Amino acid sequence: MTTPALLAVIAVCAPAAAALLLVLAPALRRQGAPAAVACIAASLASLGAALALALGRSPGEPAVRHVVPWLQAGSRTIAEVGVHVDGISAAMLVVVTLVALCVQVFSVAYMRGEARRGFGRYFAYHALFLFSMNLLVVAPNLLQLFVGWELVGLASYLLIGFYFAKPSAARAAVKAFWMTKLADMGILVGLVVLFVSTGSFEWTATPEPAVATAVTLLLFLGVMGKSAQFPLHVWLPDAMEGPTPVSALLHAATMVAAGVFLVVRAHPLFELAPTTGDVMLWVGAVTAAFAAGLALVQTDIKKVLAYSTCSQLGYMVAALGAGSAFAGFFHLGTHACFKALLFLAAGSVIHAVHSNELAEMGGLRRRMPLTAVAFGIGVLSLAGVPGLAGFFSKDLILTELEGRAGWVPWALLLLTAFATAFYMGRVFVLAFLGAPSARAGHAHEAGLAMTGPLIVLAVPSAVAGFFGGGLAAYVGASYEPHFGLTPLLASTLALAGIVAAVLVYGRGREVAFADALRRLDRAGAVDRAWKLLYSSALLWLSGVLGWFDRYVIDGLMNATGFATLEAGSAVRVVQTGRVRDYALAVVAGAILLSLWGVLS
Amino acid sequence: MTLENCILLATLLFAIGVYGLLTRRQAVAMLLCVELMLNASNLVFVAFARHAGGPGQILAMFALAITVAEVAVGLAIVLLLYRRHGHTAVDAASEARE
Amino acid sequence: MTHLLSIVVAAPVVAAAILLCLPGSARVAVRVVSLLGATLSLAASVAVAWAYDRAAGGLQLVEDYALVPPLGIHLRLAVDGWGVPLLLLTGIIVVTGVLASWSVAKRDKDFFVLLLVLVAGVFGVFVSQDLFVFFLFYEIAVLPMYLLIGIWGASHEVPAAGPFRFAWRRFAVGGKEYAAMKLTLMLLVGSAAILVAMFLLWNEAGARTFDLAVLEGTRFSLTTQHVAFPLLWLGFGSLAGVFPFHTWSPDGHASAPTAVSMLHAGVLMKLGAFGVMRVGMVLLPDAAVVWAPAVGAVAVINILYGALCAAGQTDLKYIVAYSSVSHMGVVMLGAATMTANGWNGAVFQMFAHGIMTGLFFALVGIVYERAHTRTIARMGGFAHPLPAVAAFFTLACLSSLGLPGTAGFVAEFLVFVGAGQGAHAWWVVPGVLGAFVTAVYVLRACKTIFWGPPPTGEFAELADVRGTEWGAPLVLGASLVVFGVWPRFLLDYIDVASVAFLSRFPALP
Repeated sequence: MTTPALLAVIAVCAPAAAALLLVLAPALRRQGAPAAVACIAASLASLGAALALALGRSPGEPAVRHVVPWLQAGSRTIAEVGVHVDGISAAMLVVVTLVALCVQVFSVAYMRGEARRGFGRYFAYHALFLFSMNLLVVAPNLLQLFVGWELVGLASYLLIGFYFAKPSAARAAVKAFWMTKLADMGILVGLVVLFVSTGSFEWTATPEPAVATAVTLLLFLGVMGKSAQFPLHVWLPDAMEGPTPVSALLHAATMVAAGVFLVVRAHPLFELAPTTGDVMLWVGAVTAAFAAGLALVQTDIKKVLAYSTCSQLGYMVAALGAGSAFAGFFHLGTHACFKALLFLAAGSVIHAVHSNELAEMGGLRRRMPLTAVAFGIGVLSLAGVPGLAGFFSKDLILTELEGRAGWVPWALLLLTAFATAFYMGRVFVLAFLGAPSARAGHAHEAGLAMTGPLIVLAVPSAVAGFFGGGLAAYVGASYEPHFGLTPLLASTLALAGIVAAVLVYGRGREVAFADALRRLDRAGAVDRAWKLLYSSALLWLSGVLGWFDRYVIDGLMNATGFATLEAGSAVRVVQTGRVRDYALAVVAGAILLSLWGVLS
Repeated sequence: MTLENCILLATLLFAIGVYGLLTRRQAVAMLLCVELMLNASNLVFVAFARHAGGPGQILAMFALAITVAEVAVGLAIVLLLYRRHGHTAVDAASEARE
Repeated sequence: MTHLLSIVVAAPVVAAAILLCLPGSARVAVRVVSLLGATLSLAASVAVAWAYDRAAGGLQLVEDYALVPPLGIHLRLAVDGWGVPLLLLTGIIVVTGVLASWSVAKRDKDFFVLLLVLVAGVFGVFVSQDLFVFFLFYEIAVLPMYLLIGIWGASHEVPAAGPFRFAWRRFAVGGKEYAAMKLTLMLLVGSAAILVAMFLLWNEAGARTFDLAVLEGTRFSLTTQHVAFPLLWLGFGSLAGVFPFHTWSPDGHASAPTAVSMLHAGVLMKLGAFGVMRVGMVLLPDAAVVWAPAVGAVAVINILYGALCAAGQTDLKYIVAYSSVSHMGVVMLGAATMTANGWNGAVFQMFAHGIMTGLFFALVGIVYERAHTRTIARMGGFAHPLPAVAAFFTLACLSSLGLPGTAGFVAEFLVFVGAGQGAHAWWVVPGVLGAFVTAVYVLRACKTIFWGPPPTGEFAELADVRGTEWGAPLVLGASLVVFGVWPRFLLDYIDVASVAFLSRFPALP
């Protein structure tokens, strides 16, 4: 095994070892603190391995693979497991482990109030998540990616349902699992189609164009579920029932981006299928615009961020649809940093105020200056203010979309850029500026465990954009920031959005169309449609079939038994139970037999 | 005694047995009638063995043994019937039917 | 060692014989002897797996004793690649089943005797290479179930309704006697069909032998094949829960005591599927190819219909029972693909589902013993008092819905790949859809039972898993994960048999 492969294996196995330890040693887990230590140590090892791996690679180096057979029957190998290290997986590994470590350190302070058992359970889930995510990132083939994909889904289910005593959290967890599982059916079928047509799950598999289109469309169905694309996005806002650090790690930075990562990884396959690209372009653009609209009127700070995540994932998907894997990947990286930062800062606020509602906050910039600065950097970066990370990646996406599909997705995303700046400005104004509410008056900054990760994440959120060219060279793409019309328009709109938000909300006003949007949000048409499909179609059908099985299919069996018994009763009259009747029958039979013998 | 006479006697015995079996109500009497029928068949066996050879005598011995067993079981049942009902009229003994 | 297979089969019988000599009051001794018998079988099964040469394949560890020479009936024990994982499965399930029945109170000695006899029958089916003895063991495995459910089962009300409500006049639907009787009658009708087909083959082969190897060597006429195959499919299929002959299963499993449900859903239903594949398909390849579309179509019905029925249930045991109907559909689907991957997946699914459903029923038993209810709507928040039960139940749910890393995924995935490679690729879609519906009902059950605010009132003081109850969850849960992460161990055994059997299908890949 070569050094890079070994490092990748360490990055995957360290959290796996922590998770296994915490499962096999329940006593340790129930102590709470040792679980956190084990989990964070593993993440540290993972981050170290990932950094060593990434820094040890020079740009343009060929991919390193190390695989062993996994699904093997006799001499036929169906699938292998192992590691596949190239620029993309190395960079992704660094992003994932860095954010994970920040979030876990942050969690130590954030979850302090939790009972010991719960505390330990929380970190065990985190270790499971990091293992699964890294397994996904280094996957040498689509099947291992799917394995990791499903396991991060499991971690997400467990972490959303962490407060399982709360019925809303329980519902949200199950809903998230169902929605993603529904979409994952696409991947499963896609995997089978790919294997049947090419005989492997490799990234380099090249099926015929028609098959490629079918496979990529099926895979994209899975991407839509995991990356919360319209209309499968409904689980993501509900997933905010989980602890805030979980939202930061899974439902903003890494897990939901797995869909984007899949497309980047399977780019050779997606290049064979232009139709899929068009579908992705439209789905991404519509998601981005739709989710941004809903983000405008949320009153829960986490819900704003959740819809914002949906919207930004829409950007990435649209970029991938336009055929630019690098634009999507670049935005994935910057988004992971600033969205994790925003969520953690929001977590810090929630921890201080004990509420998610924006109305309960206000004026926090004095009480929590560091958090305010961190959140502000996140806001500016997400809005795409020139110079910050989000600006570069978002503008790359917009530039890539120029002229595609009659400029409509481009226009939609440009509009979304304005909306993004506006709703993030709104959140910042409502939470940090103005007069403090009753609760916000007593808020105070938490300790280093919470502020440290904010500082660590704020740095890349601000400056990561300048390394775009380096990243492009590292993953084997090319990127040159250029300042044409699109970036100019976008940055103007971003600044205008922030200014507009300050002007409107700084004076305690509300935008004119807020009521219409709020009605749209409350109506939750998509959510309702899914609920209707669930309760009126699936549950109805299952109820009917349950009845049918009990009373018709099984009823038929009962009727057979009944008929047999009735027939028996009918014949029973002959059996009088009197000996002489039987004797008479015997004699009569004997006489008949002898007559027959005599006559024939 | 000729073979014909033997068969005639056996037939007579058998017919008496059948008649008794069908007309008697008392279990003991019915049992006796069954014995008559069995003995009629034994007579036929022995007669044929005497006149035509073959294993008839052995079969008759078997039949005797079975008859003894049958009487033992039959009388036991009759005894139980008597204890239960105070008489041995078979028509009353139809509980097993229900 | 050449007597390994005899030990596997005889250990439970000997244990049962020892039990008969023990006084009924020796409660601990009764359990210890049962456990020893079961463990000896499991240990011998592990030794069989160890001794079996995976590279060579074929029949190994052959033992042959003539039983009825004039009819050519031999007690011929040998194991092939399919037999090894199923022996292991049976061994695991019976050991954990004995541990799970530690608390049986009523006539416990008789209970364990019947349980062990049943298990001996199951082991016998998997290792006998003589069709007649195969059938004999099959019946030994099926019949004790009647007493086990009829005596130790639980009754419940099923209100009269539907177009056939008149039948309620003659018997109490939902009673344990009803369930036992229905199960036995339906399986015996199946046995009758098997018997007919068996003698048909015996007659046509003309070699005056029931030896499976000899019968395999015979190419039966097409007419015989087309008469015998449906008989075997429906005969064995009734035990595998093939639609519409599955209705003994929900009532039977719901009425049966814990260990009996575990054995029945975990192992006995596999006998049916094993019979269809090992006897039906392997002996009658030409008919199997022609009938495969029908087998597959019915399997698809099984998968979706079973899953949807499960989603409509309110009784926990019925949910698990219908899920068995659905998962056995996956086995039959794999069998119908007539591909190596599909067959590997089918046999792997027998193993995975056996372990998974055993775990389910063991946990349901634990919950029922404490809460005295099986209606999931009455439960809630049980994860607070019963964290271990909740954790293992979740694990079983995950394997049930085919989460990677559990044995269920490997099995279902292989079946889907096989279906994709087979003649009817569209089978993949309903198969995958079934996995989704499974996710819906298992997670809903999991949420309703275990999540929510801590229970109050009568459920406030439930005790978590303790003592011998740990046996089933630990062993079965670990098996699910180990064989899900490391499927190769079993696949190597299974594949060597699948490939050899498939070589009898000349027209197919």
